[in-house]
Amino acid sequence: MAWLSTVFYRNRRYFSLGLILVLVLIISLSAGHVRPFLGNLSLTIFYYPFTELRDTVTRLQNVADDNRRLNNALTEASLQLNAMAEARRENQRLREFLGFDPPEGFQPLPVKILTLLYHEYPVAAVINKGTGDSIEVNQPVINRFGLVGKVREVMSEFATVQLLTDPASAVSARIAESRQIGIVRYVPGTGMIIDNLPADAELSVGNIVISSGLGGVYPSGLSVGLVDSVQTRKGEIKKNVWLRPSVNFLEIDELYVLRSGLR
Amino acid sequence: MRIIPFILYLFLITFHVAILGDLTAILGIKFNMFVLMVTLVALYKGDGEAIWFGFFAGLVFGSQRLDLMPWEIVIATLTAIVVKEISTRINFESIASRVIIIGSCVLLHDILIILLISAREFFFLFTRYVLPGVVYTVILGWLFFMIKDGRITWQRVKALF
Repeated sequence: MAWLSTVFYRNRRYFSLGLILVLVLIISLSAGHVRPFLGNLSLTIFYYPFTELRDTVTRLQNVADDNRRLNNALTEASLQLNAMAEARRENQRLREFLGFDPPEGFQPLPVKILTLLYHEYPVAAVINKGTGDSIEVNQPVINRFGLVGKVREVMSEFATVQLLTDPASAVSARIAESRQIGIVRYVPGTGMIIDNLPADAELSVGNIVISSGLGGVYPSGLSVGLVDSVQTRKGEIKKNVWLRPSVNFLEIDELYVLRSGLR
Repeated sequence: MRIIPFILYLFLITFHVAILGDLTAILGIKFNMFVLMVTLVALYKGDGEAIWFGFFAGLVFGSQRLDLMPWEIVIATLTAIVVKEISTRINFESIASRVIIIGSCVLLHDILIILLISAREFFFLFTRYVLPGVVYTVILGWLFFMIKDGRITWQRVKALF
């Protein structure tokens, strides 16, 4: 046995080559059995961990891509949802306004506010309609709550509305219950007041104040506000009356210009 | 325990086939890790180890295409034998001689495989993939020898900056 071992050791290279030759012949000649078996074995042992890793990474990349795409879609959907919610609110406001009966001889034209001009408080609004839409100076402007102001300047595609909160603005108004007439003005630091009411005028808190129709600018019957407080000082000939305006000038959005003589 | 490094070399070949090849490809050109590993093992390991590593490397690499499996085994085994024979006769200290051996082995392997797969498109495949692939593999082999011989070290790389 020792000589056999020596022979094998001395010629191990040729034995290896012979064995490899035999194995290659077996693999070549048995394409249907041995080769697929060895191929599957090799794939399972040596390739499977890496192909699985590669597939997992690819799946994660796809998940990341999907996540990015869905995030974009979600953002777009959210924007659309906000736009639809705003449209629904606008629709609701317009529906409420449908029940509003404009003064006789006037036709309301819906306009949008482009910008508000402030002087501690909103005093004017720029609207998106102008002479091209038959907007003229001194046309009354309302919203669904009541009188807002009047058109002060008009350009071809824009117009400026003087709000009741402009200290230069004055509206002839009357107490709906007692029919007493006064001038509604806005005094900075004090609020909206109704001036020129005699000391003996009959009114109380909660009375409704409407436009009188005098002066030729505002039609009669438009809501201006409610009497908020009344003060009569001894010896004075006028009452001090503060109003709570019908319109919240900090939240105005859709406005309507009352155009006369249009059908 | 002596076979564990060789099994790791086989895993390195399949890692290159499955993942690394695509990541390191330049314009679709990949380096030939299979022939590179067979050649390096033949250059640095013993006679029997080189021959058997060539056999198993050919078997593992050939399992991607079963019709080529016997050819891959034969080519890899012959490569190992020839490189082993040559390495005992050349100036082994010279990096250039080792790089030439690697380039020649990759070139011969790729030419034979192209002829077996699609001889009609030989010139296109040869110029588009084989030659650039040989250059790519030779560059990596050269880098490997430079690092292994200590001609590129971390200190020297740091000194450049």
